[in-house]
Amino acid sequence: MKPMTGQAFFVLSALADAPRHGYGIVREVAELSNGRVKLKIGGLYGVLERLAAEHLIEPDREEAHDGRLRRYYRLTRAGRHALAEEAELRAWTARVVRSRLGLPGAEGAG
Amino acid sequence: MSGAPDLERRYRRVLRLLPGYYRRAWEQDMVAAFLESSLTGEPDQDAGIPEFSKLPWREVASVAGLALRLYLRGPGATRRSFAWGQAVRRAVLALSMLQAVRGLDTLLLTAWSRRVFGWLPAQPASLAAATPAGIVPPLVWWLVAYAWIVSFVALALGRYYRTAQVIAAVAIIPDLAWLLHGEFTRAFRGPSVGPWAFWVLLDLFPVLAMTAFRRVTPPATRWPWLLALAVTWLLVAVPLTAFQASGHPAWVPDTAGLYCALTAVACLAHAPRAWTRHAQGSGSSVWSLTLTLLGVEAGAYRVLSLTDYLRNPHQIRVDLAELLILVLAVALIVPDAARAQAAAPAAPRPQPGYPR
Repeated sequence: MKPMTGQAFFVLSALADAPRHGYGIVREVAELSNGRVKLKIGGLYGVLERLAAEHLIEPDREEAHDGRLRRYYRLTRAGRHALAEEAELRAWTARVVRSRLGLPGAEGAG
Repeated sequence: MSGAPDLERRYRRVLRLLPGYYRRAWEQDMVAAFLESSLTGEPDQDAGIPEFSKLPWREVASVAGLALRLYLRGPGATRRSFAWGQAVRRAVLALSMLQAVRGLDTLLLTAWSRRVFGWLPAQPASLAAATPAGIVPPLVWWLVAYAWIVSFVALALGRYYRTAQVIAAVAIIPDLAWLLHGEFTRAFRGPSVGPWAFWVLLDLFPVLAMTAFRRVTPPATRWPWLLALAVTWLLVAVPLTAFQASGHPAWVPDTAGLYCALTAVACLAHAPRAWTRHAQGSGSSVWSLTLTLLGVEAGAYRVLSLTDYLRNPHQIRVDLAELLILVLAVALIVPDAARAQAAAPAAPRPQPGYPR
């Protein structure tokens, strides 16, 4: 399985609970990463285009806002599946790392 | 755009770095997102941003980086590779299904010979589910039959891809062992190109190509594929069995001939869809590409297996006729297959009324 990039993971995560438009995704990613990941628009649309081509996301709707149309994106079934797999992998990796570092909350790590 | 705020004009100028096909699909969305991201949420401050704010160099760099990646990749490369990936996955599913149909047939004939179906008359001797003689015991061939069915079902369910690949990889080992044993003991009377072609093209290729199934790829539409297994067995395996049972084994084509015939029929059935205007830009092209791949493989198998009949000119003529029909049928869908790169939707299209 091709590894998912950090940016793709954050963008998919931002769409996990609701469809979002471009800037909405930027804000959500910043919030999810506790301000550590600040997507630039060029980077964001590179990721969005790739995810759309891989059928992990798709356009949801368009809404007018300040005289412009905001295009919303949502996860596809394959996108939801890929995100769940990646989240599981990252959670498992985190547990293993915590266990190796002797940090609390590492129960069940192999 | 002439009345657009200065910041927007400058950003659009930067977006000209991007390839045209990409700008047509994404520019409006990028501009809207960029302008929103440049606002601070403070009305007093935000009032002057569209006119006086500087274009952040990080934004310029991100667009330049995106442009570089897109130019290096070439227009539509993602769509093209996606279409090829889909075509390979469907071809693998089709080949696995054929193997599963053979497996199903083997198992049902065996069950019939063991009187599992009490309501059926005794099985004619001509239908005994013969397994190849050699070092591989019959039980292993029956397990191989099961294995292909399980592998196909796992693929069609859209999960357990690696399990399906491992099962299929194990299932092709007895065939290989049988071939190697035949070569070492000189059991083959003539050239053994045909059996080897079968192993490489119908056993090994699908197993290797199963790598194209990944967790992130769109899963197959499971019910049509599972239904296709039952329908193919009913429409292909049952009539062939009936020919054999009724004393007409000559009407049953060899495996290469059957593969050519099935692919040709599928191409002819698909051709009307491939030729309609509606097909352009739809998923039809990916199916055309799938059938073209299968056609090339069936043709290669037919050509290689001709060596099995070097002393039978009549059979050679029949085989060449099968090949010709296949080539003509595939030629009908090749133009649509060439459009496959446009068939897989990638970037959403700008909607009517979108501000320019």
